[in-house]
Formats: sequence, structure tokens, C-alpha cells
Amino acid sequence: MSPSVEIQLIAVVVAVACALPGAFLVLQRMAMMSDAISHAILPGIVLAFFITHDLGSPLMILGAAASGVLTVALVELLRKTGLLAEDAAIGIVFPALFSVGVVLIARYAGDVHLDIDAVLLGELAFAPFDRFILSGVDVGPRALVIMSAVLVVDLVFIVVFFKELKLTTFDAALAGSLGFAPVLLHYVLMGLVSVTAVGAFDAVGSILVVALMVAPPASAYLLTDRLKPMIYISCGIGALSAIGGYWFARYLDASIAGAMATVAGAAFVLVVFLAPHRGLWSLARRRASQKLLFGRKMLVIHLYNHEGLPEADLECRVEHLEDHLRWDHQFANRAVKSSIARSLILREGSLLMLTDEGRMLAREALVEF
Amino acid sequence: MDSRPNLNKRMDHAIDVRDLTVAYREKPVLWDVDLQVPAGVLLAIVGPNGAGKTTLIKSILGLIKSAAGSVLIHGRPYSEQRSSVAYVPQRGSVDWDFPTNVLDVVTMGLYGKLGWIRRPGKAERVEALKALAQVGMEEFADRQISQLSGGQQQRVFLARALVQDARVYFMDEPFQGVDATTERAIVDLLRSLREKGRTVVVVHHDLQTVPEYFDRVMLLNVRRIASGTVPEVFNEENLRATYGGRVAFVSALATPDDH
Amino acid sequence: MEWFTDIFLDYTLRTVALGSALLGITAGSLGGFALLRRQSLLGDAISHAALPGIAIAFLLTGSKAPLVLILGAALAGWLGAALIASVTLRTRIKYDSALGIMLSVFFGFGLVLLTYIQKQPDANQAGLESFLFGQAAALIQRDVMVILSIGTVIIFLMVLLWKEFKMLSFDPDFGATLGFPIRKLDHILTALFVIAIVIGLQTVGVVLMSAMIIAPAAAARQWTDRLGHMILAAALFGAISGVGGAVTSSRVGNLPTGPTIVLIVSAIVVISLLFAPNRGIVFRKVREWKAGKNLRVDAVLVDLFTLASQHTSKEYPHSERVLDVMSTISGPARRTLHLLETLGLARQIDQNNWSLTPEGVERAQTVIRNQFGGSLST
Repeated sequence: MSPSVEIQLIAVVVAVACALPGAFLVLQRMAMMSDAISHAILPGIVLAFFITHDLGSPLMILGAAASGVLTVALVELLRKTGLLAEDAAIGIVFPALFSVGVVLIARYAGDVHLDIDAVLLGELAFAPFDRFILSGVDVGPRALVIMSAVLVVDLVFIVVFFKELKLTTFDAALAGSLGFAPVLLHYVLMGLVSVTAVGAFDAVGSILVVALMVAPPASAYLLTDRLKPMIYISCGIGALSAIGGYWFARYLDASIAGAMATVAGAAFVLVVFLAPHRGLWSLARRRASQKLLFGRKMLVIHLYNHEGLPEADLECRVEHLEDHLRWDHQFANRAVKSSIARSLILREGSLLMLTDEGRMLAREALVEF
Repeated sequence: MDSRPNLNKRMDHAIDVRDLTVAYREKPVLWDVDLQVPAGVLLAIVGPNGAGKTTLIKSILGLIKSAAGSVLIHGRPYSEQRSSVAYVPQRGSVDWDFPTNVLDVVTMGLYGKLGWIRRPGKAERVEALKALAQVGMEEFADRQISQLSGGQQQRVFLARALVQDARVYFMDEPFQGVDATTERAIVDLLRSLREKGRTVVVVHHDLQTVPEYFDRVMLLNVRRIASGTVPEVFNEENLRATYGGRVAFVSALATPDDH
Repeated sequence: MEWFTDIFLDYTLRTVALGSALLGITAGSLGGFALLRRQSLLGDAISHAALPGIAIAFLLTGSKAPLVLILGAALAGWLGAALIASVTLRTRIKYDSALGIMLSVFFGFGLVLLTYIQKQPDANQAGLESFLFGQAAALIQRDVMVILSIGTVIIFLMVLLWKEFKMLSFDPDFGATLGFPIRKLDHILTALFVIAIVIGLQTVGVVLMSAMIIAPAAAARQWTDRLGHMILAAALFGAISGVGGAVTSSRVGNLPTGPTIVLIVSAIVVISLLFAPNRGIVFRKVREWKAGKNLRVDAVLVDLFTLASQHTSKEYPHSERVLDVMSTISGPARRTLHLLETLGLARQIDQNNWSLTPEGVERAQTVIRNQFGGSLST
């Protein structure tokens, strides 16, 4: 495989591996934990490195997972004191842990290729040059092998615990009462996030992990209401962002990870505007057509409310609509015209009266409440 | 016939709301609500959850945008009459762990009078203490607000409104979750405001006490079901129209005249 | 001692310490409001979002002057904050997701720009990354002057609009009814917040900035219940961390300044959470223990009295076992009995039996009177 294909393959695997836990983070309103964890895993990685002296060792993954779980535990601990809100706890814990990591590197590993730049930023472009040799056979880029393993772990976990995850995401209290130990699941999910983050940081750095864990699922969230489709769409958008990002970076000769994050963001923007149903454009169109419908309803209800009352004479005139309903002249005329056209009201000079159909519509509309 | 409402008549009312409509994402929350309240009365707004009671208060005060309608306070638009109107929001709307004390919260009621940048001084302190005395909380002036009970918190909010010496008061569920003593104190306070000719509108959650505490009542469920004096309007028919089912509990509340 | 004099003698250290202290003061002060308004993570997002602003400012002007870069960073940060609010308002995307998206996408885009710039033939772009990671050690006097002047303006505005910002943070709806333009005030405070973050980026970098904003304020909150004192304390803690970090990292080899500052301020947070009077955990535990102790003392005292009341003398002895059985409070009675003995309220008769002393009888009667409003004795 050419390096270009390998890079894209790695990128896609990273994207899908991130989208899986990311979907649950987004739904559980814990998106920022991806940011916190992807930085806080640093000390765990460094300590594991001190033990093994091998950047490729599986102990790194364990170290990272432990770090991630530690982060969550510390945040919980701080929150339980009642002295600190959860977001403040997060904002203090992860920089502290990250600082510990940086200090460890600077003091004890300054000459080694454990570079802060790489942790934060990563550089996919070099990935194809770092091969994974198993018994003398070149299996592929190391990043690809690692990330595939991570992806498998993610998949297995999510498939096996899908029911439980779904329940704890949407109703933690119910899950607890059914004996599903939401707290345990929570920690395991965070462990997954840590493992994914460490697997990815070598290739793409922690910022891209955040982008891929949050942006594609958020886009998916605007496109569907159901969990399984949301996960599939997240993976799809993530993969597309990965490939699109790669070519964008090639065109500009710039950071691949950064480009992937940018494309994921651009995808999000597109979805925000163009999503069917929930997209802003769709909402605007609906609002325009609904405005007139709304106007007719308001008109008949207004007439209905004031029918037969002493002020009816005053309140049921066209000019009054403009004054008190704050309709501009144009809209008031349109509302009146379209109501007359649908036989909802009759007009005598400037006085408006309900027809039987109009009265029925008013009653129906009121029952809706 | 003059098609515009008689302006002189509108001047009589302390509060004059016409055709107030509030929508949230194309769903109406308040629809075409009218409310005229003369000066010197205590009015309760009642209705089921989601009826729009808090929305009504907030949209009168301009905190929520309305789709239609107008609000006059003593004949002038609300935006010109802010200094005549005081607001007591729900207790749960602030974080009581905020680092401040009782006196400070009450003094906030005077910020409008102070205007931009000016800091509260001795004169303001005296006024705030006076307001605290009216609600029986002068000894608590230096107390951190997180150490207050529910009833005490409510009194502090009331003092904050009293210090404004407004003509019209809007209160959102001031009796919710307070002890019996505080409840009596609040009722006494409301009555003394009425004696002075002030107008008080209260979103009230407890139907049982409406006849005892209030002169007037408005029944609201997205639209106005009825409003007027308690004997006129607080009856089984209107309550049922407002609350839907729940007939048994409703009939126990109706004023004796209807049986 | 040497450490202190070095601050005054060593020009570089002085500059770095001063810059870090100023950062600590500005970030810490505004962080007070951010903490109260639950905007801790917003600071993190704004820090990251500032990156493309720096790159674009450089691309447009070719200049690396601090003011230019700060302006670019501030505009980008401001835009990020505005988009977060907008997305949260208009779509069903939640606040935390919006934060995560803006943070990572803006930063990623900034990276693209940075790496693109680095590939350009113009060699002037080195050093843009110091904004990323913070290189406090590279602060020069010009940077410090910029931080000082901007920081002063920020603090001045904060003090000027103090009561307005307090109102905004505590009860914005109420403030609106008083006629204050709450949305405009929110914009102003957010703008000050963005600028404070941006000028601090050079010192501790993007990742650590959120701690510089929130940690001093979180620590300060534990020591005082007054907003003014809290902001002052936050500024103080920020300054201490800044100076401490600068001095420590200059004395100890291979210790980058930014992380050192963060570790110091984190330690201050932990100390505050534990030892602050009133709110501090240690004090709380002591209070609880004391209250529990008093509870147990009174309970056993009353039990002894009640048992003795069935006999002719109020000092009639009873065994520990009986007391254990009677007691509703957890824990063996023995410990409490020994305590009563040291207090002179009870007396050990023999191996297992205890009785009240005359003082103990009196005390028991007082407790009962307070609890039940009447004496149990007939």
C-alpha cells in the first residue's frame, strides 16, 4: 500500500474508534471529558514509559487507562466535597495532571522522543515510516495496528454492553435500580476514552481526538433521534472527515490532524444549517410557512376570546390587530385575507366576525393546550 | 365609534395587559391574555404546571419576548415605569452558595436607583436595613446567604423588593416551601402593602389559601380562563376549566356560594 | 533566601516573575466571576479557540508584535465564545458539546494555519508556537509591559462595573428588571474574560490556561464568603503561583515554568479545600466529630440518669453492658464513660459498673430539661 493510502486508512480507523465512545459522551453531556482525559493521560504514559522504555509497549495503554480513570475519580472526589462545581473540578484536575506529566518528561526524559508537541499535535505524515514488525514480517504501520486493536476493543465493548450503555445514557436512575451499576459503566467508558486517546495520540495528538469524539457525533445528533443510526452516522462522518482532511492537508501542505479537525468542524457547520428537520435552513422555512398558519390561528382565537363580550366591537377590528397583536399592516392584511379565503371569518367594513368553521378551529386550537 | 380603547379608562388600572401572546418554537405558551388589575389589590395567578404563569410575569417584565400584546403600568409602557415595579423571582432561580450576605442582596434592590457605576453608601445601607426590619431579618444582615433556611431566603428576596418602594409588585411563588411563621409574615406584609395602595400580583401554587389571602384571582391555562374578584370567579366551573379532570379536589375548593 | 534576592538581581527572572505574577492577578480576578457563572471550561475553549486568530493576525500583518497577536487571538476567542452561545441557543446541541467542538475545531484550524505558515519561505514565523505551549521563560520586558497595561485596563473596568457584574452573576433577571442591559454587560464581561485569557497564553500555554483562571478562584472561595475578598484572594493566589512558579523553575533544573505555576496553584487549591476555616474538610470533620461526641456524651449521661431514677439514689451504679444495650448511639459506651469520667460527671465503681457523680446528676437534669422542657424525675 502506498503511504498515502496507509495514512488515510489509519485516519479512518482513528475516526471510527473515536466516534464510538464519543457518541455516548455527547449524549451523556460529558463531551469535555474527552478534552480532559486526552490531556490527563500524559503522566500515565510517561510513568509506563519509565518502566518499559518502549513507546510501543502495551503497558502504555494501561498507564493511560489508569490515568484516565484517575482523572475521573479525582473529579468525582472533588465534586463530592460539595465545595467545587463539577466543571471547576475538571478544569483544575486535568491541567494539574498534565503538568505532572510535562514535568516528569522535562526532568527525567528530556532527551527522549517523548515530545510534548507530539502528545498534543501528533503527525500522521510520519506514521507510515514506523512499521510494526512481527516475527520479521512487516505487518503495516504501527499506528494502524495499534488503532485497529483499539477499534476492536471499542467495538467489542459497545456491542457487548449496548443495552446497558443505552439505558445508563438515557436513564441512569432506572439503570441503577435495575442493577446495572451505572457508575461502573461510567468508569469503563472513561477507560475506553483513555485507551482510544493514547492509541491515537502518537498519530494524531489529543486535540484531534477531541474533535473526532465530539464533532461527528454532534452532527449525527442533529440528523437522527435514534441511538444506533446516530452511531453509524458518527462513524461515517468521522471517516469522511478523516479522508477529506487528509486531502485538504495535502493541498496546503499543512498538519493532517489539524486539517481533519477542521473538516469535521466544517461538516458540523453544514449539518447545522442543512440538516433536514433540525437544520437552521429547514427551521427558517418552516417558520415562514407556519407564521401564516399561526397568524390565522391567533386571529380566530382572538376573535373567539372576545366574542360576545362588551369590548368585542373594539377588539375585533382590523386596526386593533395591528395595534395590539403588533402585526404590521402587510401581515395583518395577509392574515385576514387568508382567513377569509378559508372561510374562517367574515368581514364587514373593518369589523371581523367568526364563521362556524372559524369557531371550530379556535376551539380545536385551544384544546391543544 | 372610536376604534381605539378609551385611553382614560386604561389609566385607571395599575396593570393593563392586552392580548399578550408568547410562543416557544411555534408552540404557544401564552395566548391572547388580557389582564386588568386596579391599584391596591392582591391578585393571585393560579393554574396547572405549564400553564404559563411564570411566563406571564416574565413577559410582562420584558424578560421573555412576546409575539404580540402590550403592557401598561399605571397607564405607561412598562419600560418607562421600571422604577415603579418590583420583582420577586422564584427562590430556586439563584445559586444561594454565592459569596454574599443578606444585606448585600437587599442592597441590590437599590442598584437601579444608584444607576451606573455608583457604589452603595451609608444611605443605602440604612434603607436596606429598614427593609430587612420590615421582614424581621435585621439580625441576619451579616449572614452568609447559604446559611439561610427557605423561609429566610424568601424574606430576603421580599426585602430586596420592598427596598425599591415600588407601586406594583410581581412575585413568583413566594409561599413555596416556607415555614408557617414566614407564610403568615408574608401575608401580613402583602396586606400592609395593599393598605398603602400598592398592587401585588402573586403566582400562587396553593389553591386552598386563595380565598383567604387574595382579593382577586386569575385562572390561567395558556389563555385566560377567568379573572376577577375571588367570590365572582373562584368557583368550581372555572377551576375545572382551568385544571381539567381532578373534579373531587376541585369541588372542595369552590367558594360556598356555589353549592 | 537566595531565591528572593535573585528576583531583584536577575533581570530575566525578574521579568518572568513579574509577567507571571501579572498574569496570575488578571486571570485569577476574572476567574472569580467565571467560577461563579460556571464558565470554567469556557476558559479552556477560548484558550484553544484563540490559536487561529494568532495565525491569521500574523498572515495578515506579517508582524509578531504582541499587541497584534493578542488582538487576533482575542477576536478569535471572542468569536468562539459567541458561536458556542449561538449553537447552544439555536440547536439542540448541548453546551458541553458546543465547547468541545469549538475548542478542537478552532484549534485544529489554527494548527493548519501554523503549519502552513511554517512552510512559507519567510523565516519570520518562529516563535508563534510559544503561544501554544507558553514559554514564560521567554518573556521579555516588552511582553511584560503589554501584559501590565492591558491587565490594568481589565482590572480597572472590572472594578468600575463591579456592582453591575455582581448583579449579572447573581441574579441577571432581577438586574434586567432594574433596567440594566444584562446582555450588553454579559458581552463586556466575556470580552474582559477573553482578553485576560489571551494575554496569559504566552505564559502557561493553551492547555494549562483553564487552571490559571479557575484554580485561584476555587481556592479563594474556600476562605471567604464575600465576593470582594474572594476576588482579592484569587488575585493573590494567582500572583503567588506566578512568582513561585517562575522562581522555582529558574532554580531547579529542567523545570518548565508553566507547569510549575499550575502545580503550585493546584497545591493551593488542595490546601484550601482541606484547611480553610469553616468550609475546609478538616475543619468540617472536626466539627462533626465534636458534635457526634457531644451527642454521645449527652446520650450516655441521660441513660445513666434514667436507669438510676428507678432506684433510690441518682448515683446508683449500672453496668456497661446495660448501657450498651440501651444506647441508640453507635459505638461502645465504654469510651464515652471514660470521657465522662475525665469530665468529672461519672465514676467507675468496679470492673464493669459506673455511676453518676453529683455533678453528673445535675448535668443530666439540665440536658433533659433542654430536650424535653421538663424534668423526668418525679
